[in-house]
Amino acid sequence: MEYLGLSLALFGAACASALAGIGSAIGIGIAGESAAGVMTEDPNKFGSCLILQALPGTQGIYGLLITFFVLNQLNMLGGGAPAMPTWNQGLQIFAACLPIAIVGFISAIYQGKTSAASIQMISKKPEAMGKAIILPAMVETYAVLALLTSILMLMGVQVA
Amino acid sequence: MGVAKLKKAELYYHKSVHEEIAAALQDSGVCQIINAQEAEGGTRPSDIEARLAESEERLADVRYLMRALTPHFNDPVPSLDRMLGEKPVMSMSELSQLAHDTDLSGAAQKVRGLEHELGEVRLELSQARANQALLANYSFFPYELAVITEGTRVLAGAAGVVKSEQLEAFKNALNNFAKDTEVFFSNVSAKTPEVYVVVLYSRDKASQVLDACVKNGMSMAEVPAEFKGSLGEEKAKNAELINKLEAKDAELVNNMKKLADEYMPNVQKLSDYWTSLVSRWQALSESGETESVLYTKFWLPAKETERVRGKIEAISPNVALSFADPEDGEEPPTMLTNGNLVRPFNILTELYSPPKYKGIDPTPLLAPFFFVFFGMCLGDAGYAIVMGAAIYWLFKKYKRIPLGIKDFVTLFAFSAVSTFIYGIISGSFFGNFIDAFLPFLIPVKNAFMLVDPMTNPMQVLGISLLLGVVHLMFGLLISAYEKLKENNYFDAIGADISWFLLIVGLCLFGTGAGGMLPAAFGFIGKWMAIIGAVIIFVYSAWTKEGNIFSKIISGFLALYGSTSYLGDILSYSRLLALGFGSAVIGMIINLLGGMAANIPYVGWLIGIVVVAGGHLFSVLINLLGAFVHPLRLQYVEFFGKFYTGGGEPFTPLKNSEEFVSVKA
Repeated sequence: MEYLGLSLALFGAACASALAGIGSAIGIGIAGESAAGVMTEDPNKFGSCLILQALPGTQGIYGLLITFFVLNQLNMLGGGAPAMPTWNQGLQIFAACLPIAIVGFISAIYQGKTSAASIQMISKKPEAMGKAIILPAMVETYAVLALLTSILMLMGVQVA
Repeated sequence: MGVAKLKKAELYYHKSVHEEIAAALQDSGVCQIINAQEAEGGTRPSDIEARLAESEERLADVRYLMRALTPHFNDPVPSLDRMLGEKPVMSMSELSQLAHDTDLSGAAQKVRGLEHELGEVRLELSQARANQALLANYSFFPYELAVITEGTRVLAGAAGVVKSEQLEAFKNALNNFAKDTEVFFSNVSAKTPEVYVVVLYSRDKASQVLDACVKNGMSMAEVPAEFKGSLGEEKAKNAELINKLEAKDAELVNNMKKLADEYMPNVQKLSDYWTSLVSRWQALSESGETESVLYTKFWLPAKETERVRGKIEAISPNVALSFADPEDGEEPPTMLTNGNLVRPFNILTELYSPPKYKGIDPTPLLAPFFFVFFGMCLGDAGYAIVMGAAIYWLFKKYKRIPLGIKDFVTLFAFSAVSTFIYGIISGSFFGNFIDAFLPFLIPVKNAFMLVDPMTNPMQVLGISLLLGVVHLMFGLLISAYEKLKENNYFDAIGADISWFLLIVGLCLFGTGAGGMLPAAFGFIGKWMAIIGAVIIFVYSAWTKEGNIFSKIISGFLALYGSTSYLGDILSYSRLLALGFGSAVIGMIINLLGGMAANIPYVGWLIGIVVVAGGHLFSVLINLLGAFVHPLRLQYVEFFGKFYTGGGEPFTPLKNSEEFVSVKA
C-alpha cells in the first residue's frame, strides 16, 4: 500500500493530459473538417482557417502543463527517487487534476464546434475575422478557469 | 485623434473631362463616392455605363486567363513577398498603355482553344485507359473480338460480368443451351468477387440465351465496336494509342506553360488595372447627369479637401467643387485617425466594429490595456527577443510593406516590448532557462524580479484581478462621460456611477477589512458600496413600469446583476493562467532539453534541437493565446460597458494593388 499515494497522483496526472488531449484532438478535428471544406473553395483562406483550427488546441497544452506540474511535485523529472505521498495526498493530487481533465475534455470539443462555425463564417465574410476568433475564445474561458483551479489546488497540496 | 472629420463634396463637371476627373478621384485614394441621384434606382449616366461595360468585359478576360493559366504558371515572386510589398511599381498611365498594347481577348481565345484541345485529349485518354482495363479483363477470350462486336452469320457474342455467388446458377442456366452456346470464364478463385464472362451463342436462340444470362445475374459490358482483332493485337494497338495521347497531352500542357509564362506577368498587372477600372466606373455610375454635365458626391477627410481640389481644378476650369459638413440626419462613414503610437491598435477596433461617426473612438482607451495584458499573457523576455528579432528582420528585408500590414506588425512590436518588460520583472527568460542552464546569471535575474508567479501565484492573481477592476471601472466611467456629454445625468448616475461606487466600494471595504489598507478605507468603501447599491435599486425601480411590487422586484434583480461583474472580474484571472502557462511550457522544454543533453556523445546536439524547436513552438502557440485573450477582455468585458460600434468603415475608391504598386 505504500505506493498507493504515488499511484493515485500519477493517475490524476495521466487523466489531465489524456482527457484534455483527447478533447483537443476531437475539437481540432471538427474544426479541421470545416476548414478543409472551406479551403476547397478558396485555398487563400489557409492562414485564417489555420488560426481558427488551432484555437481548441490549448486545452491539450493546459492538460500537459498540469501533468508536468504533478510530475515536478512528485520529483519524477530530475532523476532520483520519487516523492512518496501518502494515499491521502495522492487522492488530493488526483482531485486537483480533475478540473482541467474534465473541463478540458468537454470544452475543447465545444470550442472545436464553435471554431468550425467560425470558419464557415469567414468563408462568407472574411472581414469578420476578429469576431470569428472571439467566439471560440469565449468557450476557452472555462478551460482557463479550470486550469487556474487545478494549479491553485496543486499548490495547496503538501507532499512530504 | 479619434474619428476623422469628413466633408461631403459635390462636384459638377463637363462630360468632356469626366474620364480625367474619375481617374483623379481614384488616384487621390481618399474619396468615398456616394449616390448622387435624386430618385431611387436611377439610371446610370450613359457615358459611364459604356466604360463600365467595356471594363467588365476586359476584367472577365483577365479573370478567365488567371484561372486557366495559374495552375500552369510558376510564379517567380512568392506570394508572401508580394503581400509584403515586393511588386513592380507602375503608374496608371503605364498600366493603361500596357492595357492598350495587350490583346487580352486574343490571348483568352488562344488559351480557350488550347484548353478545349487539352480537354478533348484528356477525354480520349480516359476512354483509352478504360478500354485498356476492359481488354485486360477479357484476356482469357481466345478468339478475335469481331465475334463479339460484329458476330458471324450464325454466331453472336456478349461480354459481361457475373457475381461469384451467382456463378453456379448462371452455369446451370446456360447448360440448358449447351448445344447452342459456348461460354468462357475468367479465372475463378475464392477471392474474386466477380467473374468476367463471354457467351457465344447461335443467332436463332439469341433472345432466349440473353434472357437466361440476364436473369441469372450477368450484367452486360459494352465492347467498343472498333475492336475486331485478337485481344493481344487490340491491346497493343490500344497501348500505342495511349502513348500517343499521353505525348499529345504532355505537349499541350507544355504549350500551356509557355503561354502562361508569356501572358501571366502582364495579365497579373492588367488584373489590377481592370479591377481598378471596374471599381472606378461602378462607383461613379452613381453620379447624376444632365445633358452635358455630370455631378458626383463623395465623402473625404476634411484635411484632404485642398489637395483634392488642387488635383481636380488642374484638369479643367469647368468644374464646380464645394465641400459641406455632414448634416444632422446623415451617417457619414467612419475613418479612424490616431497618432503613430496608437494607430497600430486601430486594427483591434476595426476588427470589432468601427464607431459611429459621432461616437467615441475606443482605440486610445484600449491601447494601454492591450499593451499590458499582452505582456502579462506571453510574459517572457526571451520570447520577446525572438519576436523583436523576427520583426526587425521583416522590416529590414521588406522596405515597401503596405501600411495595413505594417501597422499589424508594429502592433506585435509594441507587444514584444511589454512582453519583454513583464518577462524581466517576473524573471522569465525562455521559461526558466537561466535557472536550468546559466546558473551564474541567477543573481542578475533576481535583481529585477518584482513578482514571482511560479512560487507565489496568488500575488499575480491579485494583480490580474485588480487590473480587471481598473479596466472595468474605466469602461464604466467612459460610459458615464458619454452620457454626461449629452446632459443625461439621470442615466449616467443610475446606470454607471452607481455601479462604480458599488464595485470600488466593495473592493475598498474588502481590502480594508482584510488589513491590506488602513481601516479608514474600509469605512469609506462600505458607505460607497451602500450608496451605490441604493442608487442601483432606486434607479431600476424608478425606470421599471408597473405597480409597486414589480418595481421592487426589478430593484432586487438589478442588484443581482452584480454577479455578472463578479464574473467579469474573475475573467481577468486568465492573465495569470496564460502567463503561468507560457512559463511552465518553457520550463518543460528546458527540462526535456536538459534530459536529452544527458545522452552520451550526441546529447548536446539533441538538447539544442529540443530547446530551440520547443521554444519556437512555444512562442507560436502562446502568441496566439496572448493575442486572442487580451482581445477578448477588450471586446467582451471592456466594450460591454460602453461601446457598441456600429459605424460604417470609410472605404475610399482606390486603385487595386494586388500585383503592382501604383505610383502616383
